[in-house]
Amino acid sequence: MSNGTTPAATPGATGSLGGYLGGPGGMGAWFSSVDHKRIALMFLGWTMVALLMGTIFGILLTARSLGGRGMDPRFVFETLTYHRMLLVFMFLVPAIPSTLGFFLLPLHLGTSNMIFPAMARCSLRFYVTGLVLLLVSLVIAPVGTGWTMDVPVSLTDPGAFGVLAVGLVFMGLSWFLTGLNIIVTVHHRRAAGMGFFDMSVLAWSLYLSAYLLLAAGLVFAIVMVYLWGSRLAGGKGVFGLESDPLLWKNYFWFVTTPAAFFALIPAVGVVTEVVSGLARKAVSGYRMLVGSLIALTALGSVTWGLNLAGQGQDPATSLVFAAFSSLIVIPAALILYSWLATLFDGAVSTAVPGLFVVAFILHAGIATLMSLFLASPAVGSFLGTTMFTSTLLDYLIWGGVLSALFAGLHFWWSKLVGLEYQEGIARLGGVLYLVGINLALIPRMMMGSQGVGADMLAFVPGPTMLGELSALGWLIMFSGFGLIVSNLFASTWGKRTATADPWGATTLEWTVGSPPPVGNFEESVGG
Amino acid sequence: MIGTANISSWLPEAASTHARGVDGVFYGIYAAATIALLLGAGLAVVYFRLYKRRDKDQLGGVSSGLNRYFLTLWVLGAVGLAWFSFTAGIPGLVDQSVAPYGAYRVEVSAHQGGWDFIYPNGHVADTLTVQVGQPVELVMTSADVTHSLSVPALRVNQAILPGRITGAWFTATKPGVYDAHSNIYSGEGFADMVSAVVVLDESGFTAWLVDVEDIFAGRTLPEVGELLYTRLGCMACHTLTGAKLVGHSLKDLYGFEFKTVDGQTYTVDDAHVRQSLLDPNASVQEGFQPVMTPFAGIVDDQEIEAITVWLGTLSSKGGLEETATAEAAEPAPESASGDPEVSGEQEEH
Repeated sequence: MSNGTTPAATPGATGSLGGYLGGPGGMGAWFSSVDHKRIALMFLGWTMVALLMGTIFGILLTARSLGGRGMDPRFVFETLTYHRMLLVFMFLVPAIPSTLGFFLLPLHLGTSNMIFPAMARCSLRFYVTGLVLLLVSLVIAPVGTGWTMDVPVSLTDPGAFGVLAVGLVFMGLSWFLTGLNIIVTVHHRRAAGMGFFDMSVLAWSLYLSAYLLLAAGLVFAIVMVYLWGSRLAGGKGVFGLESDPLLWKNYFWFVTTPAAFFALIPAVGVVTEVVSGLARKAVSGYRMLVGSLIALTALGSVTWGLNLAGQGQDPATSLVFAAFSSLIVIPAALILYSWLATLFDGAVSTAVPGLFVVAFILHAGIATLMSLFLASPAVGSFLGTTMFTSTLLDYLIWGGVLSALFAGLHFWWSKLVGLEYQEGIARLGGVLYLVGINLALIPRMMMGSQGVGADMLAFVPGPTMLGELSALGWLIMFSGFGLIVSNLFASTWGKRTATADPWGATTLEWTVGSPPPVGNFEESVGG
Repeated sequence: MIGTANISSWLPEAASTHARGVDGVFYGIYAAATIALLLGAGLAVVYFRLYKRRDKDQLGGVSSGLNRYFLTLWVLGAVGLAWFSFTAGIPGLVDQSVAPYGAYRVEVSAHQGGWDFIYPNGHVADTLTVQVGQPVELVMTSADVTHSLSVPALRVNQAILPGRITGAWFTATKPGVYDAHSNIYSGEGFADMVSAVVVLDESGFTAWLVDVEDIFAGRTLPEVGELLYTRLGCMACHTLTGAKLVGHSLKDLYGFEFKTVDGQTYTVDDAHVRQSLLDPNASVQEGFQPVMTPFAGIVDDQEIEAITVWLGTLSSKGGLEETATAEAAEPAPESASGDPEVSGEQEEH
């Protein structure tokens, strides 16, 4: 499998996938692998499992909102708890950095692997442990604290909170290790002669968001121990957490507000590469783009208090956080400008990834503009804790990050697994997804601005027009989603990719075979 | 609540002065954001079509420098958007944060399953009734976990935390009944965290106040007596435990015999209770100072009776001949005042 040639793949022959996929097979070989590409692919599979499970809980809630009144409120809230936890902690955060990120970072830096291969494997194992423990707590006694685990509700919840807490500690450590690995890899594994400002925008985005991953992951692990300890102490004041509910709220949002950023910043990196690849042009305004990402990283670490406006935080403090939050729109506008400038005068392919690029621009745009409402002090305190805020989160998960993930998967699918998918089906799925998700979320946004609480998702007194529209939207969205994912799976039986660089793109990963050999560039140099 | 959300408008109907600081800004940002979104996403779609690859070997143009003129406009647009949304929302927040002096002050105690609204006159209800045009200040705290009080029509949305006091205020602008609910999950009883704010016009509110002022409605006499004990502030000087404060404890008082400071003996009966309330310092029990506030003109006969009956329930010799119903408006006033033996003890109250 030398540089730029087709892997030894015969159409129709099973088990003859080339590159890193051609090595030893079997569960054991995969699970003990330290190859960043295998780890990324396994991460992709697991995050899809988390997404699917979170989705199933979401379907239950939607069914309830259509008037199924037989469900016990406690059960409904347990469902809501696991729904949000799975989607935010287990999908939103690792969706890009641990999948496309782990796969592409060493390729973009021109190196053979992450600097700490075993640590990358450990990230995956911690992630899976966290996911399993979350499900174990669901089986033993479901937790119904809500995903924000507010004190003092979480101190007395009858569910198996300890198991869940340990699971989330593992999850936080997984984020931490991923962040650490990415930072050190970028510092020490760039190809000879590659300066920081020679790196791809994707590498930059992973590098910057890794700082937030590192900090938020570690803090998350620590405060989960803290919360669990307070619970074990029975609210006796040993840890002091129960003395003031605002304390936990600050800890929690300090972790999860950056989560929105370290999910979205790599998504920006992915879309930038896709736009540049589709347009067959270098990225326009590279330094402006990198600067914008740095600004977003900085803003991501100083905006957590936006979620505390009207929750006991004094108005002056809320004003400061609102001021920082309103600035987000400026780097976001610069990023969009750079993409438009890249498309300008390009030779733009309108293949499937382009559809998801447009979807990302639309959804991330909506999410950014929604944050403007929350950053406007009087409006923000009125909309805080309503369904408007949870819809913003949904736009990040289902709109932003999923669009970018789909754009990236369709763009790099040939590189990831050396296979080709059906264009027509992917396009149909993409259109259904785009229409469905907006039909699902815009009615919720309207409910929220009319004062319906975020936590009231499942306590609807009966069918309403907005609720039905939203449910119809989810139905369309899920059918599109299912079509897209099964189309990618079905490519296993389709054609093998013939070329190393189907897009005519110029970043480093396209110079190696599809799929890449185990050692990326080394093997091709050697052989 | 959710059932009232509809597709025809983004914001709920406005029934408070806060709507001024919220609605205009909301629709302002909404208009600007819609333009920004259409421009941004629209340009992306246009560029995808405009610069579509003509043949498969076509290459993109060279990435030259950015057009400074357009970039400056673009950045100014974004800065303007941020500036507008932030600054336009400040007056509203300032307005929401500071209740006007002299506002009608209602204390709110949230608990799993609902809120207790405690009015200045001591009335407690699970719904909030206010007068149109009158500023109402809510002073809120929670008895157990974190709750919130959200009244969309009044543009009120405030968390209620245990161990902290949070505030909100509003001036309702039109009479009506508005949905109130909690936005924050609180475990047990969350599905019951639904209430209403009833806004009445001036005459309606006055009538309502008189109505709830009838403390005998729905209460037995001892209950009214106990309510008066807290409401009139008796507990400042009289315990219910037997412990001595400034005044004698109310426990084991009724029916017992005491001595006055001048050495006379008397029994605490209905007449004595009456005298002690209306003219407490006429005679003072041995060991106490003549410092009690007279309650003449503050308590009426019916309330004196309620207090008397209630005192009876606190005493091991109590009860006597009193009935626990509200029928007897005048227990035995003239006999009380005419009783020579009542050399007036400093009774309770």
